[in-house]
Amino acid sequence: MVEPMEEVKIEQRFPSWRQMLKPITEKDFKPGYYHYSARVKDMEDLDLPFAREWNPLDKDWKLPPNWKEIFLNKMKEYLEKYRTFKLFMDICVRCGACADKCHYYLGTGDPKNMPVARAELIRSIYRRYFTPAGKLFGEWAGARDLTEDVIKELYYYAYQCSLCRRCSVFCPYGIDTAEVTWIIRSLLAEIGIVHRFSLISIASSARTGNHLGLLPGGVAGALQSAAEDVAEVTGIEIEVPVNKKGAEILFVAPSGDYFATPHWFVTMGYLMLFHEIGLDYTWSTYASEGGNFGTFISYELAQKLNAKIYQEAERLGVKWILGGECGHMWRDKHQFMATMNKPPKNLEDPINPITGTYFENAAETKMVHIAEFVADLIAHNKLKLDPSRNDHWKVTFHDSCNPSRAMGLLEEPRYVIKKVCNYFYEMPEHTIREKTYCCGSGAGNLADEVMDLRMRGGMPRAMAIKYVHERYGVNFLCTICAIDKAAFPHLLEYWKLPVEVGGMMELVGNALIMKGEKERTTDLRGNPLPGRGEE
Amino acid sequence: MIGTFFGVVIPYIAVAIFIVGVIYRILEWSKSAVPLKIPTTCGQAYSLPFVRRTIYDHLESPYTKWETVLRMILEIFLFRSLLRNTRYYIDRHVTRDARWLWLFAIVFHYSLLLVIIRHSRFFLDPVPWVVETLSDVEAFKGVFIPSVYISGLAIVAALILLWLRRLVLARERTISLPSDHFALALLLAITISGNLMRYFFKANLDLVKGLLANLMTFNVVKASIIAEQIEPIFYVHFFLASFLLAYFPFSKLMHAGGIFFSPTRNMPNNNRAEIHINPWNPPYKGITWEEYYQMYKDQLDEIAEQGYKVKPEL
Repeated sequence: MVEPMEEVKIEQRFPSWRQMLKPITEKDFKPGYYHYSARVKDMEDLDLPFAREWNPLDKDWKLPPNWKEIFLNKMKEYLEKYRTFKLFMDICVRCGACADKCHYYLGTGDPKNMPVARAELIRSIYRRYFTPAGKLFGEWAGARDLTEDVIKELYYYAYQCSLCRRCSVFCPYGIDTAEVTWIIRSLLAEIGIVHRFSLISIASSARTGNHLGLLPGGVAGALQSAAEDVAEVTGIEIEVPVNKKGAEILFVAPSGDYFATPHWFVTMGYLMLFHEIGLDYTWSTYASEGGNFGTFISYELAQKLNAKIYQEAERLGVKWILGGECGHMWRDKHQFMATMNKPPKNLEDPINPITGTYFENAAETKMVHIAEFVADLIAHNKLKLDPSRNDHWKVTFHDSCNPSRAMGLLEEPRYVIKKVCNYFYEMPEHTIREKTYCCGSGAGNLADEVMDLRMRGGMPRAMAIKYVHERYGVNFLCTICAIDKAAFPHLLEYWKLPVEVGGMMELVGNALIMKGEKERTTDLRGNPLPGRGEE
Repeated sequence: MIGTFFGVVIPYIAVAIFIVGVIYRILEWSKSAVPLKIPTTCGQAYSLPFVRRTIYDHLESPYTKWETVLRMILEIFLFRSLLRNTRYYIDRHVTRDARWLWLFAIVFHYSLLLVIIRHSRFFLDPVPWVVETLSDVEAFKGVFIPSVYISGLAIVAALILLWLRRLVLARERTISLPSDHFALALLLAITISGNLMRYFFKANLDLVKGLLANLMTFNVVKASIIAEQIEPIFYVHFFLASFLLAYFPFSKLMHAGGIFFSPTRNMPNNNRAEIHINPWNPPYKGITWEEYYQMYKDQLDEIAEQGYKVKPEL
């Protein structure tokens, strides 16, 4: 049965500057766009202030009585603590270069989703309370009073940004909306306003070591099941090291890889690769999360979560750390982790034990990306590969926001994909590499209640996939981000694109010729391989 | 009296506000901490030897200090990021390069630079040959009589185009605040009055030069005497320019200084090779392995009993 297609209309509105200064309230919150409030339990677990039941649709958000004073005091403190905040409040000229770079703006048409307008939401408050012009001329200087409605508006729009940093690529002053949004979210958290989705995971991760709240037995069980699935496809029974002291390398993956689909096939890929090269490594249940939802809310929460990796590296006495496929995880690991927590002394130079390559670019944090690691193995001919096992896939690669714009990891995954696949096609140039579009569900927006926002925010990316699908018959979207893998299946269904989603390591796993393997008749997903065995 | 007011008092106040204001703003920015190293990487990072990096990658995902300096130079002198600008056509869902804003901006800023260099002839005696040559070249001296300075006309054209963007294009109109229009209007008024004075309502340039020379040497009495003799048209231009100087530190025009401080551009992308120190890094507050072990003792012990590994059960 063919479903009737519903047309998605993007209504663009262009209000006057005065209307832009007027806050929207809970009455204007659209279902599918606003986030649920955090649970009291999670707030209390994380020692966040003013834990209480509240509902974004209520008129009364039960703010603390002196919320305004707290907010402004904290704002002053943040202006001193973050040069980015102070500078970005001061130097924007509103040239508009960022406006149509935001996937949420393109998808929703909501003028306050333009990056410049998102920053103006707080900039107007900054002017009113921290600049002479704003104090003197008020509205005419683009300033406005801090009211409860403004707080509601900040909440609504701060959680309609995925911290993807695409706008910061185009800004002539490098103004980074991710910084501004992060600080708005941190300020809101100071008066007890946090969204539900991230905080559940943060609280879980702080307690159990991973966002999903898997207990040690759960992590071990998941790895065991993955080893069983590997055995089914390859006939090889793999032992998976967990919490093993004295291993050379600690491997950390995002927790989605423990059981979500299509993350699962990536996990199988990790196990197969590490087994095949005989790597002395271990998984950890204490540091069982590479991702860091804390980075979506505040510095302190980010620090709380990424500390575990170094603590565990010290306890297990490993030499260095290898990290799996994840997007924001690598913003955290590349740009935040070693600043927030000191690397332990027992870590040594990250040297690939198979090839002898010294990962000079990870000299101090001692953490290497799986794409770098695999690319190095392939470049040294250490892997036997049969790319024809991926011939049923016509592959395109989606650069995830953070590996591309916070890390510059562009060529390594492409290098690997081209070695393990015969059919690889790039999406249009304005939608890849540093100009890549977000999947629409990053930075806490993976929450189900904002499904409309997610599907619309993913529109520009979906259109680029549509292009390569129609032109080259692309049927496999390869990505190195766990959130992408969770978000894209919905997105592609919504935009009616028959394209599968998977990770780089899945393709590697398919192509990897292992010693003593049986003849493969299926890929890791159980799809029959064309031209082999029964079809 | 009026001449003294607009020719001596106002410019001194304006310059004082400008200098103190700009220094204050810059000190304020430098006082704020930089907790994290957050370059926006716009190219392939320094990585493994076989990963090829083009010249753009070196410049846009800088690994060393010098690459970062070059990136800043490109940003400041070529408006590199603006040059990347694109436009999304929502009707067709395609993205195309859009360089008009970059063009208008670069014409405006370079014209402004040339105009300022030419104006240095009023402050410097003798006029340096660089200024003379530059003025002659841009005026195509000898082609037009009297010579027409291209920069003086280009700056007006660029400002009009930049303003039209804000007035005509719906999206730009929405994001423009009164202060955005004001800055453009002020600059237009200054440049138009300057051009009018240059070509139509001439002021006595010897007197102007005398006034500025005396202002610069703080010869206030002599400056006041000269100031009283200069034509009013000069003061229109001179007052607006003074106002601009005084307005500068309080406005978005401070972007001229701010760009040097932007952490997404002025930091190298060598995060994992050189650790950045946060001056206010708080201590870790969270559970330790010991606490974790106590919470999940049974399960952790079971993993230990299995020899810290799991095997497939088939």
